[in-house]
Amino acid sequence: MSNELLIILLSPLIAGVLAWVLDIKGVRELIGLVGAAVPVAYLAKLYSTVTNEAITYSIKVSGFNLGFQLNTITWYFAAIASLVGLAMALGMVSTSKSSYDWLFALMSYTGVLGVFLSQDFVGFFLFWEIMTFASFMMVLKRNRHESLKYFVLSVIGAYSMLIAIGILYAKTGALDFATIGKVLYMDASLGTIGTGETALIFGLLLAAFGVKAGMFPLYVWAPGAYSENDQSYTAFFSGVLSKAGVYGFLLLYMLMFYKLYAALGTFHGHMTFAYIIAWLGAITVVVASFLAVLQEDIRKLFAYSSIGQVGYILLAFGIGSGLGFAGGLFHVLSHAVFKGLFWLVTAAIILRTGKTQFKDMGGLAEKMPYTFAMGMIAVLSLAGIPPMAGFASKWLIYEAAISAHMPLVAGSIFLGSALAFAYVVRFLYAVWFGQRPSDLEDVKEAPLPLLIAMTVLAIPNVLFGVAPGIVTGYINKMLGGEVVTGNYYKLVTPTGTYNALLIAIVLVIGLAIAGLVYLYGAKVRKIKVTNTYQSGNPVTEEFNLSIRKNFYRPLAEALGFWLRYSWDRFYERLAGVVEDFADTLRESSYNGNVQSYSWYLAIILLILALWGVL
Amino acid sequence: MVNWMLSLEVIGILIYATIVGFIFMGIERKAMARIQRRVGPPIYQPIIDTLKLLGKKESVSHGIIYDFGPVFALGATILALLFLPIANFRLFSTNADLIVVAYLLEVPMLGIMLGAMSSGNPYSALGVQRGLLTMVAMQLPYGLALIALVQHWGTFKLNELVALQQAHGWSILVPALFLAMIVFDIVFQAMLGLEPFDIITAPAEISMGPMVEYGGKHAALLFTQHAVQLFAETAFFTILFLGGASNLLELFIKQLAVLFIAIFVASIYPRFTIDQAAKFFWKWPTILGIIAVLLTM
Repeated sequence: MSNELLIILLSPLIAGVLAWVLDIKGVRELIGLVGAAVPVAYLAKLYSTVTNEAITYSIKVSGFNLGFQLNTITWYFAAIASLVGLAMALGMVSTSKSSYDWLFALMSYTGVLGVFLSQDFVGFFLFWEIMTFASFMMVLKRNRHESLKYFVLSVIGAYSMLIAIGILYAKTGALDFATIGKVLYMDASLGTIGTGETALIFGLLLAAFGVKAGMFPLYVWAPGAYSENDQSYTAFFSGVLSKAGVYGFLLLYMLMFYKLYAALGTFHGHMTFAYIIAWLGAITVVVASFLAVLQEDIRKLFAYSSIGQVGYILLAFGIGSGLGFAGGLFHVLSHAVFKGLFWLVTAAIILRTGKTQFKDMGGLAEKMPYTFAMGMIAVLSLAGIPPMAGFASKWLIYEAAISAHMPLVAGSIFLGSALAFAYVVRFLYAVWFGQRPSDLEDVKEAPLPLLIAMTVLAIPNVLFGVAPGIVTGYINKMLGGEVVTGNYYKLVTPTGTYNALLIAIVLVIGLAIAGLVYLYGAKVRKIKVTNTYQSGNPVTEEFNLSIRKNFYRPLAEALGFWLRYSWDRFYERLAGVVEDFADTLRESSYNGNVQSYSWYLAIILLILALWGVL
Repeated sequence: MVNWMLSLEVIGILIYATIVGFIFMGIERKAMARIQRRVGPPIYQPIIDTLKLLGKKESVSHGIIYDFGPVFALGATILALLFLPIANFRLFSTNADLIVVAYLLEVPMLGIMLGAMSSGNPYSALGVQRGLLTMVAMQLPYGLALIALVQHWGTFKLNELVALQQAHGWSILVPALFLAMIVFDIVFQAMLGLEPFDIITAPAEISMGPMVEYGGKHAALLFTQHAVQLFAETAFFTILFLGGASNLLELFIKQLAVLFIAIFVASIYPRFTIDQAAKFFWKWPTILGIIAVLLTM
């Protein structure tokens, strides 16, 4: 049994290295695919075992004991990661032409799996760094500035995590999750670890996981890093790597829940620390969604949207009730599948047209019908149209937020979902509909592997949408109680119900009735796009009828005041200040003047003398 | 297996809602006419209009999505209607709660937008843009009003909301929920597409916006959709704030009352521009909404 975990963990990495070494066209793709598919196969095989008892494996490496465990929670995250990983590999067969990409994409796959499966901080941190490094290398190849921005923020996150681990180790004397959890649980009533220290650990871990999850105000790396990348890889980057941060928050709860509750107390009936997370999530949702609406680049739009959707998960975890966790965990799945699908669609568009700006695109629905259909599924799921997976998860979050009496947080979800509606429609309009620019006349449908990859991710969107009970049933097992009841098709919470299958059926009936009215009417004659109403004037091909630039200009104007402030600019300026300071320091202290160096010596001697050493 | 009683109810309610929805549209036109000292068309005029549109000899189309848009809009409206408890008919309302229905009532918009976008007309695109921005703007106060309601009654289920109101008095009799009702009523104006928030269609500015390219049977579908939507939304208002209804007549009277307030407001206010609407929604209704929510905590 124990070897299986190792195979799951290492097969992507080994495949990546092999693909890199061999570097023969055709072979590297095959190896990469196999390496990505192995974890999926093993995780599927182990499903029935995991639900009964956890599978553990441990190995001794340089004095550290690395423990891995496949239990209900880690299986869920690993399964999502491997599903999106498989789709990524399929997509990369079409979009990536270099073995460099295969090496680092698969390396980050292993990194993520390691993060999810680790049972102690040694393995967790090790794989966390592998994941960060591999994804950094993917960006570095394409854009140095964006990659360094990502790297510096990730390093800040990682080392604040290291400091937190250090403090935890000093206080508890253990590195494995089980012991730390136990010790902190006991300490909740004893209180040997003070409030200040607990708050410090909490803050450090919040920063560490917040960077990866793209939490406000640490999200600035995401738009650049998600854009300047192979878009098939971004499906994994935004779909799964951001979930490592989310998993970190879950870990925070598992390890420190009672301790944080005891140390930080409550605020108006909510646990203070959870309330902070909920508000950070809510602000992330609103800010990132507003920014997504105003983007002019397809990749930037989805990057901000991805940040916003992960904000939903943080918000849900911050609610702190069982229902909140159920909604958040469900949204982990649905975000991974619909955002993965979005990035694959983007990959197909960029592969076939070579353009990324909305102003260069239009009317592609006729040229790439299958990709369009897949894009529609993703749009429906993200906008939260019942019966899609995106709605079921969002519905749970709504219920949780309102029942927990967090009205303003819940209000931000309402705003966020309307904004989500607005930006997906922007994507639909600018890319798929309207007039087609003349240089896009010979665009072809996306290649087959990419289409298969999209299908792989489209199926769960629909399946878990119509039958959300499959997921919530599993989540109940993870949370160890009947949080969301009902059957495969119907979700029942203490306050509400949602019957997805019935909604799907009634929608079909409604469409049938409307279709009958449609069929009753007269025959349809198809006309060209340019044969249209233009205040009664004739229109020719030279006119550009589609609004491709600044579609949401009025919104930008209404928000003018707020848009003057930007975290991106703030960090750039901060980096500039630090750089200037480093320059000043170098020029003032290493000034080449022999006398000043002897002065330094004199000052040191003086200090030592005052200290009483001499 | 098949529940014949329920099927009959569903068919009956669908027909009733369509006809009454059309009558509401007629009443709207008639009332507007009387306010401006005109005679106005007969109350059944929208039915005649729709039948005329259906009887056109030819329709034009810009492609599959263009055809699918109105069909989807009507289908989704029917979906939303069937999950509402209409007077003493519960239909499917036990299977979906407030959040689901609030969402379902917005889904038809996507159909209209899809069709409008695929026509490639710049006026349609402007209409789509304004529609979505209106939605973004109104969503926050709308959400707050619903949250206040749920926090007060402690349930998301529409049937329970109605039952609780019948036991403890209507929602609007509670001071906090009265505030929520005012907020909801302002948003309602935008939901119905009436002045001062008829920014989406804005006949004088952008030639009907999303509907500019539609004629013939497509337009007939959109008219029918509007009728059903009007019925569903007024019924939704009634359920949330006016204690529902125990029979169709009571429901009709309450719906009419809601509708008349909307008409009176609409007939004396000129249209907002879209950025004014956004700023307005994020100011007074939001503040009122927050107060209502805090009062029900």
